[in-house]
Amino acid sequence: MKEKPRCTETKNNKTTRRRLRATLGKALVCMFGLLPTLSLADLDARQRHLLNSKCVQCHANQHTGAPLIGAREEWRSVVNQGEFVTLSNVVQGIRGMPPLGYCSACSEEDLMAITRFMALWPKPATGQD
Amino acid sequence: MQRRRFLKGSVLLGAGAAIGSTAGCGPHGEEPQSPVNFEPGKPLPWINWAGNQHCYPESRKAPQNTDQLVDIMKSAKGVIRAVGSGHSFSGLVPTDDTLISTDLMSGLVSHDPKSLQATLLGGTTLRDCGPILDAIGQAMPNMPDMDYPTLAGAIASSVHATGAAFGSMSSYVVALKLVTPQGELIECSADKNPEIFQAARTSLGALGVISEVTIQNQTPFNLTEVNGVTTANEIWATLDQRVANNRHFELFTIPYSDLILTVTTNLAKPEDNNSGEDDPQAVNALREAFNATHWIPAIGSRLYSKLLDLSMSGSANVIRTGKSYEVFPHVRIVRFREMEYTVPAEVGPACMQEIMQTIRTKKLPISFPFEYRYVKGDDVWLSMFEGRDGCSISIHQYGDLDYKRVFAEIEPIFWKYEGRPHWGKIHTLDAQRLASLYPRHWQDFQEIRTALDPEGKMMNKHLKQIFGDR
Repeated sequence: MKEKPRCTETKNNKTTRRRLRATLGKALVCMFGLLPTLSLADLDARQRHLLNSKCVQCHANQHTGAPLIGAREEWRSVVNQGEFVTLSNVVQGIRGMPPLGYCSACSEEDLMAITRFMALWPKPATGQD
Repeated sequence: MQRRRFLKGSVLLGAGAAIGSTAGCGPHGEEPQSPVNFEPGKPLPWINWAGNQHCYPESRKAPQNTDQLVDIMKSAKGVIRAVGSGHSFSGLVPTDDTLISTDLMSGLVSHDPKSLQATLLGGTTLRDCGPILDAIGQAMPNMPDMDYPTLAGAIASSVHATGAAFGSMSSYVVALKLVTPQGELIECSADKNPEIFQAARTSLGALGVISEVTIQNQTPFNLTEVNGVTTANEIWATLDQRVANNRHFELFTIPYSDLILTVTTNLAKPEDNNSGEDDPQAVNALREAFNATHWIPAIGSRLYSKLLDLSMSGSANVIRTGKSYEVFPHVRIVRFREMEYTVPAEVGPACMQEIMQTIRTKKLPISFPFEYRYVKGDDVWLSMFEGRDGCSISIHQYGDLDYKRVFAEIEPIFWKYEGRPHWGKIHTLDAQRLASLYPRHWQDFQEIRTALDPEGKMMNKHLKQIFGDR
């Protein structure tokens, strides 16, 4: 019995399935946000201070309508629009959000780092934006 | 202005809004939310909360303590301005030279359990003051209806709350540390550098930057706030009793409506229970109803009034209860522009009623409720309450609508009643007219200011206009 062609076919199928699984896995990881995200430890002491004194005023208050820290679903639309638009909105203010998020000491880097932390935004190193 | 829950879920106003949307005749936004467009990688602007002030500072500094602040002041270039939370509507903050943020200067410095006084860094937000003070057995006797401002920012413009027996935030300051434009650290109180103290308790940030503030507190307490709706006739007939018999009382008039929203706050009783939270967006329902009706020839304003009567009358009271620092403030997420004047307490009702009548007579395009509060007089040189009990009346317009026409019609009414403008809000007065409103200490303040800042390093465009020099 010549099984080789079948075996080859099986191997090809396995390769294809592996690729499909990898692609699907990556999609699921993206979809469910399982990529590594910033932790509090990724913020420096200054950024943690600013987060605690400024950003939590709204992002830890369920009555403001602002997306809550760590509530991935609430941030999904923010993350989906990318860093450029997000940072522009943070600086200019949008809807109920005040310009600069009340943080006049924040640099552009501070604002993005704190936003990434609050939104469970994937780390820059993962290539996700 | 947040107590708007009376409108929540109003079917009538919802219907009105739908009419407005269909007809498409309501006014559209005329002013952008942000005064500038920012693109990442380009110079970072500073923008105030209301979005009507901005600047591009050449140098941004954020000291973490008084020593760092002293060093920064000694080497700062150009016009120096400090910023807290950026809630002022007036141009107190903008500078294209050196902007000093007090964001990192926050926290408790020391406290005295006997005198119930506490010293906090100037950048501490009122929101943070609540739990910090609670942990040491203290509480501020009164607080504004929003807690975003910083302590130093609040006293710079004599921020206040309501309550005929309570003064402004500045009146509770018993000592402070001021860093002058030359980098000199000055400690002052009623006993130490008393003239500088009287000037610095409400200084518009013109004397330097305040690094530490010592405030007089009391023991922690709980409050209960009750919001209700009453007819204007009943309110004006019973106002004196309402003000005298409650720890805090304020009201909100609504253009084109004969109903008034009342907010009464007293010490909590054990049986008090929360009945719900504010709806910070409810004021937008007013706007939608106004847009839907006011354009209709001849009957628009009457229809709007009727709509409000039907939707608001019979509204149940809303009750909030809890720790004082949780009940005083409210969420503020609807952007607006504000003009506020404080008139002598005794003429408050006449002034407010003339404003409401003027809006009807001139058919002014405004629907945002107006706030009406009482504040005890004090002896702070440039406080709006200096030498007299005050009634503060705040006029609001939505942030994306033109405010200038409406404010221009109303501002002269305040002048007629010898009103003093809030330093952090929109007004058009210059130095000459302001000086006449502060006959006792205007010149005293200018002398302290020029002594501490002989080169005018703290003077931006706005301060030059209102102080009238350099």
